[in-house]
This record gives sequence, C-alpha cells and structure tokens, in this order.
Amino acid sequence: MIVSVNWLKKYVTIDRSIDELAELIGARLVEIEKVIDLGAKYKDVIIAKVIEAAPVPDSDHLNLCKIDDGGAWKDVERDENGLVQVVCGAPNVRVGLLVAWLPPSTVVPETYGSSEPFVLDARKLRGFMSNGMIASARELDLWDEHDGILEIDREAKPGDSFAELYELNDYLLDIENKSLTHRPDCFGLIGLAREIAAIQGEAFTSPDWFTVLQPTLPKIAELKQPKVTIVDPAICARYQGLLLADVDSSVRSDLLTSSYLARSGMRPISAAVDITNWLMLVTGQPLHAFDYDKLLQVSGTEAPEIVVRVGRNSETMMLLDGRDIELTPEDIVITAGDTAQKPVALAGAMGGSETEIDSTTRNIFLESATFNLYNLRGTQFRHGIFSEAITRFTKGQPAALTAPVLAMAADMFGSQTGARIASDIVEVYPGKIEPVNFSLTNQQIVEVLGKDYGVSAQATLEHLEYSDVTVANDTIKATAPWWRTDLHINEDLIEDIGRVNGYDSITPTLPVRDFTAVRPSQFDTFRDELRSRLARAGGNELLTYSFVPASLIEKTGGDAAVAYRITNALSPDLQHYRLSVLPSLLEKATANFRAGYDSFLLFEFGKTHAKGFMDENEPEVPAETHVLAAVLVAKHPPRDNASAFYQMKQIAQFITGRDDLAFAEIGSDDVNKELSMAEPKRAAVLETTGSTGKKHRVAMLGELKRSVRQSFKLPEYTAVLELNLDTLFATRTMMNTYESLSKYPSVERDITLVVAADLPYEKIVDTLRAGLAEVDLIGGFEPVSIYQGDDQSIKNVSFRLTFAARDRTLNGDEIAAVVDTVADRAIANLNAKII
Amino acid sequence: MNIDEVKASLLERVAASDNPREILRASELKQLYAQIPALPAEQRGAFGRQINELKQLLESAITDQENAVLDMTVESLDVTAPFDINDARPTLLPTENGTIHPLSREITNVIDIFTRMGFEAIESREIDDDFHMFTSLNFPPGHPARDGYDTFRTEEGFIPPAHTSTMQNRILRAGKDRLENGGQIAAISYGRVFRNEDVDATHEHTFHQCEGVFVSATASLSQMLGTLQAFFETYYGQKLKTKTQPGYFPFTEPSLEFAIEKPASLGGSGKEWLEMLGCGMIHPNVLRAADIDPTKYRGFAWGGGLERLVMLKYGIEDLRHFESGKLQFLRKF
Repeated sequence: MIVSVNWLKKYVTIDRSIDELAELIGARLVEIEKVIDLGAKYKDVIIAKVIEAAPVPDSDHLNLCKIDDGGAWKDVERDENGLVQVVCGAPNVRVGLLVAWLPPSTVVPETYGSSEPFVLDARKLRGFMSNGMIASARELDLWDEHDGILEIDREAKPGDSFAELYELNDYLLDIENKSLTHRPDCFGLIGLAREIAAIQGEAFTSPDWFTVLQPTLPKIAELKQPKVTIVDPAICARYQGLLLADVDSSVRSDLLTSSYLARSGMRPISAAVDITNWLMLVTGQPLHAFDYDKLLQVSGTEAPEIVVRVGRNSETMMLLDGRDIELTPEDIVITAGDTAQKPVALAGAMGGSETEIDSTTRNIFLESATFNLYNLRGTQFRHGIFSEAITRFTKGQPAALTAPVLAMAADMFGSQTGARIASDIVEVYPGKIEPVNFSLTNQQIVEVLGKDYGVSAQATLEHLEYSDVTVANDTIKATAPWWRTDLHINEDLIEDIGRVNGYDSITPTLPVRDFTAVRPSQFDTFRDELRSRLARAGGNELLTYSFVPASLIEKTGGDAAVAYRITNALSPDLQHYRLSVLPSLLEKATANFRAGYDSFLLFEFGKTHAKGFMDENEPEVPAETHVLAAVLVAKHPPRDNASAFYQMKQIAQFITGRDDLAFAEIGSDDVNKELSMAEPKRAAVLETTGSTGKKHRVAMLGELKRSVRQSFKLPEYTAVLELNLDTLFATRTMMNTYESLSKYPSVERDITLVVAADLPYEKIVDTLRAGLAEVDLIGGFEPVSIYQGDDQSIKNVSFRLTFAARDRTLNGDEIAAVVDTVADRAIANLNAKII
Repeated sequence: MNIDEVKASLLERVAASDNPREILRASELKQLYAQIPALPAEQRGAFGRQINELKQLLESAITDQENAVLDMTVESLDVTAPFDINDARPTLLPTENGTIHPLSREITNVIDIFTRMGFEAIESREIDDDFHMFTSLNFPPGHPARDGYDTFRTEEGFIPPAHTSTMQNRILRAGKDRLENGGQIAAISYGRVFRNEDVDATHEHTFHQCEGVFVSATASLSQMLGTLQAFFETYYGQKLKTKTQPGYFPFTEPSLEFAIEKPASLGGSGKEWLEMLGCGMIHPNVLRAADIDPTKYRGFAWGGGLERLVMLKYGIEDLRHFESGKLQFLRKF
C-alpha cells in the first residue's frame, strides 16, 4: 500500500523528519518497506505561461511558442523580452495557458530513476530552437494521459515551482500490508493518521463528517427508490444505497485531487469515479456506482429490485473488464430484478458491464455496503481480482463505516458533479454489532507487558479515540471505537498500549527458573552420535527434499500409490512423500559421480511416510519413521576382489557399534517393497533379537540390482544402507559390555580351518565362540584371512585367538589345550580340517 | 498376420531367451513391415505406428531380460562374512573427507544453547493435520491469515507444515500437568517446513525453522525480549542491541517482529539490523485449545528460519546449496 505523507498531513501534524517518521511507524505500527522521495522527481519543473503560440510552417501539428517562466531558469536562451522559445506539438497549447515546463538539462519525470533517464536539451525542431518541453500528465509521471499538455488549474504565477503548487514535495510510504491484515481502519488515511498521532503522543479527532450519517444536501429530486433484500445476513452485514440524479459525468476532478489519487496508485477518471476512490483511500470503505437507468432496465421492474445473494452454479456474468465469469455459491452477487435476479455486480470485487457508468451516465445508484470477507477472499482468488477495493473488503470493513462514507459521497457528488440527491438512503442492516467494552486493571497490563505505563496507558486509549475512558481504583474502563474490528479481548487493548508506547521501551528480563537440568532428548543425542561417527567414517551428510516424483519411487521398485501425494505440488518432481530416503540419495550420488567425484559416502537423516501407517500415539496423523540412508560409491574398487557390500557392512558396524546385529540374507519370498532395489544375492537385512526372542529388522544393506544401478548410471562398486533409527534406538542395549583386564599376559595363537566353500562364516564364528566359552578365560578372536585356492569347493578361514587367565600366566600345555578345544569343536561341528 | 499374436509370441520368446536381443531380428517383424504397402493408404500410418509401439515394447522387455540374464550370473556373497574370499578387511573412508551438513551442525548448536537455558528440544513433524497447523493456533477455517502460509496439501487433507508452530498445541498439552503443579512449560521445536514458493537464491519451498514456547503464571513480554536477547547474545558471543516491530500473527497477541543489530562477527558495525524472527504473547485461544486456563497462565512464543542464521554465519550466498547434495558444497564444512 502506497501512502502519501502530504495527504496524511491533512489529518495529522507531522513535524519530524521523514526518516524519523518512518522509523517511528516501523517500531510502533507497521513495517515501511520503502520511502519514496517524490519531490526529487519534480524539483526542476517550473510553471510557465504561454505568451505566443503560432503554427510552425510546413508542420501539421507543431506550434512555435514563447513562454514566460518568470526568469526562473538560469541557463537558457531568451529573446529580448526574456521569453523562452519552445516547440510544442500538443493540440491544446494556446496563448494565456499556464503550463508545466521542463527546462533544458533536466530529466523528464516519466524517466526519473529509470536505467535510462531522458535528459532534455535545447535542440532545433524543423529549424526552430526548442528549449526543453511543455509536459503532459504522462511525461510528468502523474498518470497515463498524453492527449495534450497538462493545463495548470490553480492560481500561480510564471516561475512558481510546479511541485509546490501541487504539493508534490512529498514522500510516499510503501507499507507492508500483511501485518495490517487485522486492521481494516489502517487501510484508510484517517486510520493511519490516528495511529501516527497516538504514537507521537498526541490527541486525534476524526473529521466531523466521520460521524455524520446523512447527506447535508437535501433531497431535491425524485427517482423510483430501489428495494433491497439481503438473502442471507451472513454474507452482507449492511447494504446501503442512495440515488443521485443529473450527475455530470464529464466533469473532471481538479489536478490537485487527481495528483493525490495518482500518487496513491489510483488513476483519475472522472469526478464521479474519483469521488468513490478518494473516499476509499481516506476511509478504507469502497463504494460502487451503478448507472441507475441501466440498472432499472436490467431489473425490468418499476423501481430497481436489488437482491444480495450468493452465486449459483453454472450462472455467469460479464464483468466491466469484459471478462465472462462463471459464478459459484461462494461468490456474493448483487442482482437486479425481483424474479430474474440477474447479477449486476460481483460484490466487493467488480461491477458488471451491463450497469457500468460511462460518460453519458446521468443517474447513479451509489452502493455503500460490507460483505463477508471470507466469501470475498475466495472470490478474489477464484476470479483473480486484486483491486484496491477488494484488498480493503477482505480485511473486514466495519458495517458502521458505510453510513458516513455514503453521506459524504452524496455531498461530494452534489458539489463536484452537480448531482441532486434523489432518494432517501435505502438500507438493510442485519449485522449490527454492539460496541466492545473493556474493563481491566493496570496490574493486568503490567503483568502481560512487564512494564508499568502509568498515566500513558489512559492517554494512549484516548488518543486512539477509545470512548468513555475512565480510571478508578486501578481499573481502566474503555469502549472500543466502532472502526476497530480487531478489538475483542483485553490482550487486544494491552497490545495497543504496548505498541503505541513502543515495545522497545520495555526492559528485557529473564524468566525465573529452577535448577533442573534439561538435556537434548536421548534420541537427538543418539542421532548426533551416529552423525559424527559417519563423518569419522569419511561420510558426507547431505539434505534432500522430502518430496520426490512418482517416477523416482518406481525406478527403485517402490509403489507410488502408497506414498502420500501433494495435490498442489510445485511440479511433478515434488509430488510424493518419500517411502525411502535412498532414491533421493542415489540421484545425488549420480550427480556427484558425474561431477568427477570417484569415491564417496553420502548419508542423510530423514523421515519416511507411507499411507496406512498412522502414528501410534496420535492415530489421526500419519506415522513418521526416522531413517538413516547412506550410499557408498567408488569408481575403482579399493582392492581387486573388494565388494562394496563388505565396506558398507564395515561402516554399519562401526557407526552402530552394535555386535548384536545379525546379517541375514534377504529371502526370495521377501515381499517388502523397500528391499526391491537390492540384489538379493549381495544384500542383507540387519536384525536384532529382542528379549522376548522376537526379531526386529533394523536395516537393509547391500548392493543394488544391476537394472537399478544402471538406471542411475552408478559404477559396480556401489552399496546402500537404510537404517530404521526408531528401531535401532528402541533396541539399543544399555548393558555394559566392558570386561576387566587381566593382570597376566595374554597369548595369541592363529588357527586355520579348512571348510566347505559354502559354509556360512557365521557358523564358524558360533563354533569358535562356543569353544572359547568352554574354557574359563578372558579372550576373543579376530578373522585374519579367508583364502580360496584352485579348489573351489573349500576355503581356508584363519583366525587369531587371543586369551589370558584371570589368576595366572598360562603355561604351554594350557595354551595348547585351549587351541585343541576350539579345534576339536570345529572338526566335530563344521567338518573342518585344521592346518 | 495379427500384431497381437506376434506380440504375445515374441514376448514369450524374449522371456525364455539367454540372448534376447536377437529377437529384434525375428522374421515376424519383417513380415509385419512387409504388409504395409499392401494396406489401403489410410490404414498404413496407424499400422506402422502399431509396429513401432510393438518394437519399443520389445526393446524394453529385452533390456529387462538382459538384466535378468546378467543377474543370474551375479555371484552370491556370504553376508555373514566380514570380507570377501581372498580379500582383506575393508577400511572406512578417509576421516578427513567426512563432513556434517552445516544446518545439522547449527541445529545442534541452537538446541545446545536453548537446553542450557532450560528449554526442551522437540523435533517437528513433516506431515500434520489442519488442527495442529492452523485451527489450534487460532486460525479458524477460512481465516485470511491462512493465505500467507502458502501451504501444500495431500489428497487426504494432511499438510506438510508451513511452520514449526504445528508442534505448539502438543507442547502445551504435554506440559499442562507440570504447569499446573507450579512449574513452567519451556520448549523449542525445530525441523523442516514447507511453503508453496518458487525456488531462487533466497526462496525455498523447503527450509528449517526453530520455534520456542514458554508458559508460566508470570510470563511477560519483557521476559520474551530478555529470553530472545539472551539467546542471540550467546549465539554470537557478544552483547547485542535488539529492536522490535509490531506484527500480526493470529496465534500471538501482541505480535512482534524481532531484529538484532548485525553482530561484529558478521562484519556488523552496529548500524545494520537483521530481522530474525516473529514472536509474541501466546493468544488466549491457543492456550484454551490446549485446555490451559488463560486467566491463570500466560506465555510467549517465537519462531524463525534457521537457514538465515547459517547463511549469515558462513557467508553462504545461495539458499539452494543446502539441499543440492553437491559434494563441492558439502565438503566445505
């Protein structure tokens, strides 16, 4: 919203500098996005009088003019009478006219501040020297009109400043609308001026006419008075209208009024239209003017029958911008005709083309009403109408405002367009609201804000024109002004006091708290630990979007139908919630691999969601599963025989630090979709066995199916991991696995078992563990090598056993006995040979 | 010759073949092409298209079958083993390459400060319902302020939250007992939020926020200002001037925007202001929605974006880097 400071000054005294004003408004009312120095644009524009004007020979439109600028511009060529010669092409240039002259070497206001400002000079046109130019409204950047030069309509003498004459030494405040969503009154200059007065600590009195509910001009004409019906009070709290006869639609507003409208973003059209816009900018209340005679025709009745109702399905109407729109039952329409009920305006948004006023309009039905803002919000978006009027209506203008604005409008029409009031005010007012009374103690204010404003609190309320403000026994009583639709509860009044006096004057304090320690949640700590371990393992944490395309889910074997789907996604690429975080990671792995990174481990902590799984504690919202996903990629395997699977396994074991996780093959009957990207022969699921013996799946780990890997163009040495963090967290063991150290030296012995090539490693481990358990020693074992020679039916698995006794140094016989015990078990259980 | 019959027969052959690509040279296909010139002119185009479609179908079936054939040759691993036959135990990747995402690092840092100040930290949800996102926060259905959030919706009507305030009702309910037993509610929620916005260097549809909630019998606006100032002074390690601006949020009354002077560590000289977050006294309706009596208890809340903190701290120029997954970016941290 653009607000002129000079216009504000007509309602409130502003003495401080523009910077101070902007800062004050920013701190106590609303953010000012920008301050525009309008005056800079007009500083060199001079009022001049046309003394001579004669056609230029051989030109069909140019005039050779001599103008008098009162000698105001120094650096220009003059004739013996001190006049300046300008060639002007405007049809309306004539002797005696006062004009706006742009002297040579000044910038045409229309191009001021643009990337290519147009600087005037003295140059020859058709052989005649022309100094600067006589400007049109467009060239002066007032409004888009270029049929002729601007004719000065105020008393002035040559050499006067154009900017001063039309009060253009002005600043424009660009106000951030969003934080005034609840303040319809601030969408009018009076409302803003009142706030500014209050934050300057000054009293404010609304203009007298703000409380006048009837026109001061008498009814002196008679037109058939319309009958108004509101079908549903919920859509229209108040509807008022008035007939004006013999309006002269050709009358233009004076330049000063026009320029105020224009600098506020409204193009001046005619006095009739400008009056409604002027009142809207001043009060926030939009008005709508119907051509009465057209309205009568559409109504088809003796007097216009106006019905306010909602739109009907498949009903259409043509708006005055020429668009044919289809209405819905959420739109509000003004209709004409008792039975026909033909839409003549889309309420609050735009009039219909059938009843539009034009330059021939004589009689006007002027509407001043307020409509349900929720309906209008829908209308706004459905039909793409973002006018100044609907912007105000959607803030919820108070119903009480329609009357003074209609009365003032009638008087303005009378004085400016010669209109005669031709009816009483017709009115339906189902939504009358009782004033809101407040009663609270100063103590309450102090408690909420943490500051005692003392007598300022009362003064602030008075400055804001609360009525019946009294203070007795620490209790403040006040009645909210009728234009403040945002005031309902004590907190709203407290806000006014804090805000207007400045929140920054409140001394910051800290809440008092006890000494209870607060820690991050155990889950957060657990996740942080995993994160730092992954970084230690050389991984790079990344973040990817929570939404993916269906194609990505399907590419990795997932079922997009079970993924939550966004109905208003920005693009199909961001349409589905993730069933797994891995596909996003694979995409990023591809991009990095392609960018030349040969070896990396990417990981992400994310969440997955799937239809049909609701939160255990809150069944009305979907379950969220915390996962850790990782992708390992290398262009060249670290060793000839190395498989990505085992390196990923090593990483998984390192980061979880858990030796209870068993690696099980993915069964061919496993129907889990999230596993379908993995190659079952080279992938595993990680399971842990709970105290009840129930197996919990913690993760999937392994290499990808060739087709999946190739579709991502990733090298053969690629492995993935997806860990369910919730399960991993829930099954983490708090047991202390530390075993005290022996005081006696430990011994190491290597043992190599020759076993069948297809004997799972796990079986060997189980056997060794059982063997070592038989002897009561501290110890363990580590794999040393797994070797296979030419004979593919067998493999040699070597281990290093490490053990010690708690109470003595083991002797040679005892050591040999331990090795024998282990070996014997292996021979018996695994059909192994020892070498 | 019937196209459907040829299709069925060729697909069957592909599925059984060890070398399926040769089926593209099958005589049946050639014969189909040979039929084209004999057809009435108006049918030729459609028939030709059908053959091409068949060929494409075959191509994709052949690729699948080739992969299946290759998959048969894939060697099984012993998933219980620590490493491959005739290989050594694998190592981890070089530690010096490992990095943590700057946003995770900063979230941890923020959580650390607030927990020390006495605020529990709760992760925000990534999918929620209308009640938590709007209604419980004093945004009745149809409220104009809902427009400002540009929310996404799923087919079921769930919402990817547009602010971490979606956790506020839960935090209030969880703390109600403690509050009524003379304690306080003090918590932050942090996590991803989503807005229907086009992406550029300063806008993202996905970003992170941190929200704070404090409720007690004596909470006040001055305490809110003190708490926020204390956080930022700890975060930046220096005394800071702060300023506020009135704002409008349906879930706070009064509502404010909070700014700090640009800290020296970011090259600030005390004249520039950085808008950090929105805040205010919790609206009585929000307390009521959590069954907390607003005549006995008051609270304050705030919420702001985390990306901004991180961008300022590291001088990151483009918001899009955060979710780009580029190692070139990630390995700088």
